[in-house]
Order: sequence, then C-alpha cells, then structure tokens
Amino acid sequence: MTFLSFIVFLPPIFLGTALIHYLWPEKTATAFFLKASLGIGFGLGLNSILYFLVLQVAPGRIGRISLLTLQIIILASLLTITLLRARKQKWSQVYLPTLSRLQWGMISITLLALFISTLVFINTINARPQGEYDAWSIWNRAARFIYRDPENWRATLSPDLEQFTHADYPLLIPLNVASGWEVLGNETLRLPMAQSALFIFSIIILMFSALSFTRTIGQASLATVLLLASSIFIVTGTNMTADIPVAYFIFASSILMYLFFLHKNAALLVLSGFMAGLAGWTKNEGLLLIAVGPFALIMASPKNIKRSLLYYLAGLAIPLMIIFFLKSLTPTNDLLNNDRNSLIAKITDLSRYWEVLKAFAKSFFNSSVIFLFIYTAIMHNHLTPDSKKGGFALFALLLLQLLGYFVVFVITPNDLAWQLSTSMDRLILQVTPLLLFLCFSISSDPETIFS
Amino acid sequence: MNLGDRGSNALDRWETQMALVRKALPIKRGLVGYISEQDVPGAEYGYWDTETEFILTQYALAPLILVKGPHAEWNVAVLDYKNLALWQEMYPNQYDIKTIKGQMRIFHKLSNP
Repeated sequence: MTFLSFIVFLPPIFLGTALIHYLWPEKTATAFFLKASLGIGFGLGLNSILYFLVLQVAPGRIGRISLLTLQIIILASLLTITLLRARKQKWSQVYLPTLSRLQWGMISITLLALFISTLVFINTINARPQGEYDAWSIWNRAARFIYRDPENWRATLSPDLEQFTHADYPLLIPLNVASGWEVLGNETLRLPMAQSALFIFSIIILMFSALSFTRTIGQASLATVLLLASSIFIVTGTNMTADIPVAYFIFASSILMYLFFLHKNAALLVLSGFMAGLAGWTKNEGLLLIAVGPFALIMASPKNIKRSLLYYLAGLAIPLMIIFFLKSLTPTNDLLNNDRNSLIAKITDLSRYWEVLKAFAKSFFNSSVIFLFIYTAIMHNHLTPDSKKGGFALFALLLLQLLGYFVVFVITPNDLAWQLSTSMDRLILQVTPLLLFLCFSISSDPETIFS
Repeated sequence: MNLGDRGSNALDRWETQMALVRKALPIKRGLVGYISEQDVPGAEYGYWDTETEFILTQYALAPLILVKGPHAEWNVAVLDYKNLALWQEMYPNQYDIKTIKGQMRIFHKLSNP
C-alpha cells in the first residue's frame, strides 16, 4: 500500500513538472532537478484544486470522470505539445556537469546526510502512523469528511464543529488525501504519510537544485546538509501537519521570484504567484505570503513594476479565487474573533509587543542562526546587480512574512503566552528554508574559496 | 499525559471501538450529541483527557458532526457505570441507552429533556 500511495501522486507530479517545463523550457541537468522539485508541489496543488472543482460540479462518485484519468489526458496532451515543440530545438545543452574532487566529496556528505534523514523519517513516521494531534484532529478529519461523504463535503466547514478542529482551515492537504483514498478505494494512513514524504523531500531537493542551478554544487551541498541538520525539520515532516507543505510553498514561491530577477522570464513570476496562492490554499499563514509577495516585488524592483506585478497577480489569480470561494463558506478564523475595542486595546498595549519580541528573539536568534548570520557576513560574495535584486526580494519576503507573524501575535484574541508557546517554533520553521537559501545565495561558495 | 500523546496504540484502540459506535448509529450525516463526564454534575475527570476523547471521537465518527452535550436525537456517550447511574438519576426514562463496548454508549432521546 505504501508503493501505491506514492503511485497515486505520480500523475499530478508529472503533470506539474511538465507544466513547469512547458512554461520555462530551460534545458540543463540542474534545471531538470529544480523543475522536478517544483513540479511536486505544483502538481499536488493542481490536484487539490482540480478535485475541489470536481466536488463543486459532480460531488457524487457515480457517473463522474475520474480525476486520475483527467490528469493523465492533460499530461499526455502536454507531453505531445512539448515534444512537437522540442523537435526543432537543440539538446546539446543537456549534459551532466563534470565534478571536481571537492564537489564529489561534498555531494557524498550530502547523500550520507540524506540517507540518515530518510531513516529518521521512516522510523519516526512508522512509530506515529496517525501523526501529531493536529494531523488527525484537523487535516485527516477533514479528509475523512470529504472522502466518506463527498456529496455533503461542505460538512467539513460546518460552524457546529468544535473550534479546535478548525473548520476554517484551507483544504490542499485534506483534498489530496481524500482524492488519493478515492483512487485506492480505502482510507490507508500510508497516503497522508506519502504526501508528507513528498513535501519534505521536495524541500530538500529544491534547496539543492536551486543553489546548484544559481550557484555551485558545493554551495548547494552545504545548504542542504545544514537544512538536514536542523533538529526539528525532518521530525516536523513526520507530524503530517501542514507546516512543512506551507514551508515548501513559501520557499518555492520565493525561489521562483529570485529566478525571475536572474533570468527575466515572466513565466517564472507567474509560477511564483501561483505557488504563493498555493501557500494560502495550504494553511492560513500562507495568506500572509499572498499579502506580502507583491510588496516584496515592488521593493526589489521599483522600475517596470506594473508589468512584473501583472504577471505575479496573473499567477496568483486562480488559487486566490478558489481561496475566496472557500472562505465565503467557512466560519471565521479564531484569530479574527476580535471586536473593535479589544483590537484597539491589544494594538495599544506595548507589553504585548515586548512579549512577542522576546519570544521571537528566543526562537529565531538562537546560536545556530547567529552562527549562520556571522558566516554569511564573513563569506559575503560579490553579487551581480540581478543577484542583488533577487536577494533583496528574498530578504523583503522573509522580513515581511516575519513582520506579519509578529502582528498576528500582537492582535491574537487567544491567550498570548499559549499562542506563542504553541506556534512560534512552527512559524520559524516555515521560513527556515527561505532563510538558508538567502544566506547561501549571498555567501561565497566553497569552490571559489578552495580554488 | 492526555490520550493524544499516549501514542498510536491508544488512538487505534479508541478508533476501533468508535467504529462499532459509528456502525450502530442509524444516521450517517448531521449532528450527534456527545456526553462525557463533563455533563455529569459531581463527576471527576481530567479536562484535557475528556477534550481529547471528544476530538478523537469526532475524528472517528466523521462525517457526523459532534456537538458537546445531549443536544441531538442521537448522542454518543463515554461514561463508566458510576457516571451512567448518575446520569440516569438526572434524566429518568428520557433516553434509550445502548452500550456498544466498555464505556462507549449510544443514547437515543425519547422525549425532550
């Protein structure tokens, strides 16, 4: 069943990768890995949106076209178009890079770290097949509502549901699980496990491939090993909650924006907008990325902003419409249950700012992050103007996202100490891949240092 | 340590027992009441234990929507014999009570309490 649970997700993943290749036909070996890692999340996002649309037009299973069949038809059409288009193009650029001994050594260390992380992942997830509390009380609960009674799927958004089951949460994770169960014909726990594995390992591949594409293999290896060495990264992936998927979409959207500044390909910005939309379709924190993304774009590139913004918003449009539609059906989020007076009282209470600041300092500025900042400052690399713009966009995204979290903590109607203790580490984890990529896109690579 | 943190064995056991309750309930969608020690005056209970049992029961009985208290025609109860006796003293002849397994019971409302 484990094997089948992965197979179920292959058509949407191939579809996502093919769509990314169609929009960005870069033909190098490192670009292939980058597109494959972007294709995983893109495909899973598309799968959930398609299934959501199917539920709107034909919720009953009888007489409805299979989602899998639909995806295979679209994939076959797309591959045919791509192959026809590629007939006249040269494929000489596609070659594996020749690696130095240093690079082979660093890749070997990365593969060893990946092997150990895979064992940790398998061991931990098998010990907790139902995942963490939130996994079964929120995400798999919603998946069960949809799978067990698709004609009445809106029951999962009912305001009668207990507050802690969060009926207002977005549906990317539960829809993928429910659609997979529908294909397999049973509620196997291997399916949410497979989805968790896909998201966590696609972040790892994305980190490696993005840095090897934009910088060097050595730099990519360093960042990947550091990501794997993070004590809570792999274990959080086994929780089967939405923190790792939303971290993936924040990271993917940021990298695509960065690549846009390097390559000036508008399709990358469309994809960046779409990935930001998928972040909001995964978890409410992703809605913050939707809000801050355009500002980061404006801050990084004030010239020609109208055109850039148009492409970004074009990519954002479809997931955003789906999110608006969903939010029109859901009860209000618990964080928004503030009346005007209570909101003003919280905004004007300076002690709350201090408490949140202290919690941020404790979680964010730990010894590892300080070491990373010092390393980046010492190893600071000479950047091209385009890299500077891209780096600035990443920095703006990171800063605005953290600022958004800060504001939410200040105005939360829940007990602040409880909110901070239950959310802070998860929120920091959501931006950790972005932070690592930013630092390693700025700092010098080992190939240059040791040459 | 509450039920949710006791590991998957405790979760699976709860699921298995609630699967019997789900099968025994004559309705497959809509609201179902949930009765626990919290609804029995004087009963001793751990707050997070009963809360987690409630959330876990919701997970097991999906797509039925669980509401706390005897607020529906069909109600799922998690009560031991002592608390069940207290409950019956409070609401005599108002519910048809069917024990599914252990403390898991179904209360069918006969009249408005």
